[in-house]
Amino acid sequence: MTVAAGIGYALLALGPSLALFVTVISKKPFLILTVLSSTLLWLVSLIVLSGFWRPFLPLNSAASWPFAVLIITSVAFQEGLRLLFWKVYKRLEDMLDAFADRVSKPRLYPTDKMLIALAGGLGHGAAHAVFFCLSVLTPAFGPATFFTDQCSQIPFFLVSSIIALAFATIHTFSMVIAFNGYSEGNKVDQLFVPVVHLVAGMVTLINFTTGGCSIGIPILYIIAILTLLHCGKMVWGKLTENQIRL
Amino acid sequence: MGFSSFIVLLFLGGEIALFLIRKFSVPIDCFTFLVLLFNFAAVGVFAVFLSKMAIIVTQGYLVAIGMLVAYWFTLLPEWTTWVLLVALALYDLAAVLLPVGPLRLLVELAISRDEDIPALVYEARPVINHDQGSGEYEGQRRAWRRRRESGNDSESDHNIGTSDAEVTAPLIQNRVSSVVDGQESSVASTDNSFLEGIGLGSSGAIKLGLGDFIFYSVLVGRAAMYDFMTVYACYLAIIAGLGVTLMLLALYQQALPALPVSIAFGVLFYFLTRLLLEEFVVQCSLNLVMF
Repeated sequence: MTVAAGIGYALLALGPSLALFVTVISKKPFLILTVLSSTLLWLVSLIVLSGFWRPFLPLNSAASWPFAVLIITSVAFQEGLRLLFWKVYKRLEDMLDAFADRVSKPRLYPTDKMLIALAGGLGHGAAHAVFFCLSVLTPAFGPATFFTDQCSQIPFFLVSSIIALAFATIHTFSMVIAFNGYSEGNKVDQLFVPVVHLVAGMVTLINFTTGGCSIGIPILYIIAILTLLHCGKMVWGKLTENQIRL
Repeated sequence: MGFSSFIVLLFLGGEIALFLIRKFSVPIDCFTFLVLLFNFAAVGVFAVFLSKMAIIVTQGYLVAIGMLVAYWFTLLPEWTTWVLLVALALYDLAAVLLPVGPLRLLVELAISRDEDIPALVYEARPVINHDQGSGEYEGQRRAWRRRRESGNDSESDHNIGTSDAEVTAPLIQNRVSSVVDGQESSVASTDNSFLEGIGLGSSGAIKLGLGDFIFYSVLVGRAAMYDFMTVYACYLAIIAGLGVTLMLLALYQQALPALPVSIAFGVLFYFLTRLLLEEFVVQCSLNLVMF
């Protein structure tokens, strides 16, 4: 609608991620590298998925079941990549610990490991916001705006930014939960993350019906808040248990 | 070489300034503009060649020169730009790694004469956070800086230089004579006199040639002329390529070309994004289906 609106939409989608980046991550170069590499991994996964789905596009946008299949395959692939990311991180952690032993410095603390997981999740969330929201935001800097049929009360760009914010939150914190679940072998946490991702993806299918986005988006935010609370509880438990042991 | 930087800053910078003045209707008269532009260009030449200025001024001017040259390169037609980038990446690979390559001969000549490479190099000094004294951060900081320092306190240096501002075949060069690899091997002895003779290594900085900057910018600029999605994809690809090149530098400990890996990733990601990703993402976003 104008430059102000365009910047507003961009900040809506990426504001909390930017705040997290500036306060927590920009202080340590290793975390910046983690953010960049996880963003790259997400982009690669997206390219592979689009390569797979390209012959079937454009999908008939009246029926919603092709999109359901698309979402299921995409979420499955990305969760598989999350497991791969975890394995690579494990090897890296072993190398870093061996190096720290060699120079007689302390090993990675649990807070360090959680920070690395947070940086990885932030990379995924920022990549989602950038590729799904910011890249279609270019017309918003011009003089007009755009409304879709399914969600005709608010501009398309605003809806897109709000959904991107919810997904960025989900991605950021579910990586922390996932890494913690894999390292402790906690099955509940390990299953929590793919299930939440899949449910969040399927909830966006509600946006297909007219007026559906007024139901779909609040549900998405409930899922995001749930992820946040679960992550907070888990981290709090981990921090206090360490203090009791020390 | 000073003259060519002066010309770049004066004429190319002046043209772009004129575009901007015309577009935004900035109220400035031509005599003031000429004085300001001349001063800008003159300070730029001094900043680039006499490194007595604050490093941020030198870095700023080098970035400005890179940007200006890259802007004018993006005015080439599209196919010409892509073929030029790929051809330059291949030339860079050949010129630096083959024994008869001109860049390798140049580097060896400079080493044998104990001189600095006459080139425009961007020096990135590592930022050291003094407010973290606790031990838990040492492990992470060391993990990053282990590629820049040897295990003890002696300085090491990774030198990434170009041959000339206008000749566009950059290379990465490692002047470290000690083995810097925290994982497997132990630290060998360093040869400080060798480093001092070249006049480098006083602050453990990484140096990157300006030709690299220019061609990365050309690639991203050309990607921007299509869409923003290609910009983000190419940016990530170039950063990934730079990371891979730095890792190879730590592994091989010799002069390496900086262009091929990044340009290869950049071109690959540009075409993949343009052909495959854009359709997919636009379809999903327009129907508000996201994952």
